[in-house]
Amino acid sequence: MRLRLLAVWLALAVPAALNAQALTPRDSALHALNRLAYGPRPGEVDSVARIGVMRWIESQLAFERLPDDPLADRERDFKLLDYDRAELARRYGDALRERRQMQREMSQSGDTTRRRGAAGPMREFRELGGELQQLAVVRAALSERQLREVMVDFWSNHFNVFVGKGADRFLTPSYIEETIRPNALGRFEDLLIATAKSPAMLFYLDNAQSIAPGGSAPRRRPGAPRGINENYARELLELHTLGVDGGYTQQDIIAVARIFTGWSIDRPQQGAGFAFHEWAHDRGDKQVFGVRFRNAGMDEGVRLLKLLAGQHATMHHVSAKLCARFVSDEPPDGCVDAAVDAWHHSNGDIRAVLRAIFSSPDFWAPQALRAKVKTPLEFVVSAVRATGAEPDSTLRLAQVVARLGQPLYLQPAPTGYPESQAQWVNSGALLGRMNAAIALAAGRLPGVSVDLDGVVATTADHGALVDAVNARLLGGTMSAHTRTVILAQLADVSDPVQARSLAVGLALGGPEFQRQ
Amino acid sequence: MTVSRRVFVKSGGLALFSLGLDPLFLARAALAANRPNAQPPDRPVLVCLFQRGAVDGLNMIVPHGEPLYYRERPRIAIPAKDVVDLDGHFGLHPSLAPLKSLWDNKSLAAIHAIGSPDATRSHFDAQDYMESGTPGVKSTSDGWLNRYCRHDQEHADTAFRAVAFGPQLPRILAGTSPALAIDDLQAFGLRVPQEAARDRLTRAFEDLYEGAATGLLASSSQEGFAAIEVLKRVNPAQYRPANGAAYPPGRFGRALLQIAQLIKSDVGLEIAFADLGGWDTHVNQGSSDGQLAARLRELGLGLAAFNQDLGERMRSVVVLTMSEFGRTIAENGNSGTDHGHATAMLALGGPVNGGKVLGMWPGLGPESRFEGRDVAVTTDFRDLFGEILARHLGAADLSAVFPGFSPNPQRFPGAIRG
Repeated sequence: MRLRLLAVWLALAVPAALNAQALTPRDSALHALNRLAYGPRPGEVDSVARIGVMRWIESQLAFERLPDDPLADRERDFKLLDYDRAELARRYGDALRERRQMQREMSQSGDTTRRRGAAGPMREFRELGGELQQLAVVRAALSERQLREVMVDFWSNHFNVFVGKGADRFLTPSYIEETIRPNALGRFEDLLIATAKSPAMLFYLDNAQSIAPGGSAPRRRPGAPRGINENYARELLELHTLGVDGGYTQQDIIAVARIFTGWSIDRPQQGAGFAFHEWAHDRGDKQVFGVRFRNAGMDEGVRLLKLLAGQHATMHHVSAKLCARFVSDEPPDGCVDAAVDAWHHSNGDIRAVLRAIFSSPDFWAPQALRAKVKTPLEFVVSAVRATGAEPDSTLRLAQVVARLGQPLYLQPAPTGYPESQAQWVNSGALLGRMNAAIALAAGRLPGVSVDLDGVVATTADHGALVDAVNARLLGGTMSAHTRTVILAQLADVSDPVQARSLAVGLALGGPEFQRQ
Repeated sequence: MTVSRRVFVKSGGLALFSLGLDPLFLARAALAANRPNAQPPDRPVLVCLFQRGAVDGLNMIVPHGEPLYYRERPRIAIPAKDVVDLDGHFGLHPSLAPLKSLWDNKSLAAIHAIGSPDATRSHFDAQDYMESGTPGVKSTSDGWLNRYCRHDQEHADTAFRAVAFGPQLPRILAGTSPALAIDDLQAFGLRVPQEAARDRLTRAFEDLYEGAATGLLASSSQEGFAAIEVLKRVNPAQYRPANGAAYPPGRFGRALLQIAQLIKSDVGLEIAFADLGGWDTHVNQGSSDGQLAARLRELGLGLAAFNQDLGERMRSVVVLTMSEFGRTIAENGNSGTDHGHATAMLALGGPVNGGKVLGMWPGLGPESRFEGRDVAVTTDFRDLFGEILARHLGAADLSAVFPGFSPNPQRFPGAIRG
């Protein structure tokens, strides 16, 4: 109750801070839409400014109450949402067998001409990965629950898996749907435990193969893995919870790996769900930063995850990453401290932590405005939203995001994509953005249909045209220099439709729109 | 854009120092401004070629002098009569015969029994380790070639300093130093069919970014526009290989041709990267002919054409092949080989200490095998990579490129001539 009151007090207090720093209601609406959402749709800056930015933020935090029917309609195009993991697992097992059969036949016939081509048995699973990427792009573009989509992206990246690694080809869809999405604005501890038990993570970081020394499966295949695998333990401490400076040792990593021995996956024929293998579990005593773990089977791991979720280092590491996402690549201390405070008081309620960040003066500081460069996903989706365009359900728009440098679920390193502009800004990628902007404005960007009439009316008055582009697409951030350059380019363009395309393309491909 | 204008724009950036611009931008601006833009023609170049899928080193550089080799591979060994002998013990797969003259003139060396200290047999992990340069450590976010570029600032940061051929920047070049991923030189830049319209739009964006961009957006866009300008001069569409060189058809040959073109056009290329797949020969690998032979033929023809095309310029170029691990000593039940440990790599070029199979050969005997089945690693791949960075490119600080590893010149395999 006290927390609730505190939150309301903060929500009321912050607009006063806004006034003090002379952010206009439109400025603050644009800032919030750039950070908590994938950028404004036409007219959205005004509507958020009208209802009040803090009220809008609260509505985004309470996303369950926001109707999202148009997106639900579109999600029906994605057949991966109809599959369950067990069914996919069976089909994956079939595909593996079929591929082995094909290889045997090739071997016997000596025919090497049939290569792993588009029509191979694994084709379905390659397409599944593409469909998963596109679904993420469509949801980011169309959902009313924008903050939730931003947080799903954040956690999918924080708890990265790689859809190209073996069984993760079919395990990743259920990872996103069942592990990440339901917990994206819940409690961190629940999310952490869900990822630890997820077949996708157990496979990606090899814990499924981690076996206590001397342990042996009841029916052991020749060549099956033996011994402890430390990968998950290391990344759990370094990336998921404490952070690289979290004060743990190699001995702690080994102890954590021993605790998680036995956390594994059923075979594909049995649905490839989470399984705890008693025979693989290390029954000895373990010590993790001085805390003793006696043999308690699977409960040891759960107890350890709860311990990690409550560590100050974890709160600090994850809060700093959240502030890097929402405020600035180099997160200001004040905002991180506020988030850690909220984490302590709320027992790791992600909504409370976010509310603290969005209420922090650092979030609203003038130097935070447009301080971040958009990621390729943010650039493409914000351009689609700004032009009121409609992505289709093919894989093409996700391929645009991939070509600009961010193939979704295809970051092999467990770090996920870094939260810094240096990752995204290079000359080839910038030229790619300019090309995408020009193509979108001309209605030629693959995978999206755009009707600019609803956004900027055609006019023979170039000054009025550029002003409208500035107001509707750039939220009024266009520099005087940019305005001059665009006007000069328009000077000899007499066709108003062409002039509009050119102005919109230059604005979306120009420097202002790369920032948020 | 002229050279002097580019330098001017970058120097203009320096005046903004006090405005708190990000250090990466300033470092890059300062580098570009302080250095003459003309590239001396003998600037050393390193071309890295990744054989993804784990090449069978034993059928690439064949230990035909070891009876065990023939005993373990009754169906897939290269018959002694087909091997292109190198030194009486090792020989080239017959598909690599086009490289024999390079061995004879001492510009081609092989490094055998090389690989990772990490035991993984997962393609995913092993490629990751070979590209990050930190075997066993998964969380390294950048690649060792990028770290080299970042730490070694002896060389100019031109737009074309580090180029990977392919749609995306590979892990080995990922990081904070600028690097280009180019699918096709002819398609780099704005995609507008008519040249006049393309030039105009390019200038418009250049103006926009010059006037309104800050930080990395400013420096990177400048690099991009400078690269476009350079490519206009180079005119990739007009390129014809020299000395009658004929590249093999396909993506790999095309990448090599474009690398040769960039080297010859003196645009400041220092690091080039390309990859070629199809080495994961579990089934029906073939012997003197077949699956692996076809892949090696493409590699051999490509390298020979590249060498021919560059001619005299090869005196300052080193081409290095690499692959994530080798394959089992014994053939499997499907006339193929499974994931193993050490493999072989090739180094080609004027600075190479050629005509030798380098590295300590552990032999194929059961007692010297890794985990009882694979060729043991006697050269850590970082010792070879480190040697080439230090002795060919002149890298000053290898410990920054390979964190957690202490490079020791005494362990260098001796791939670069002293």
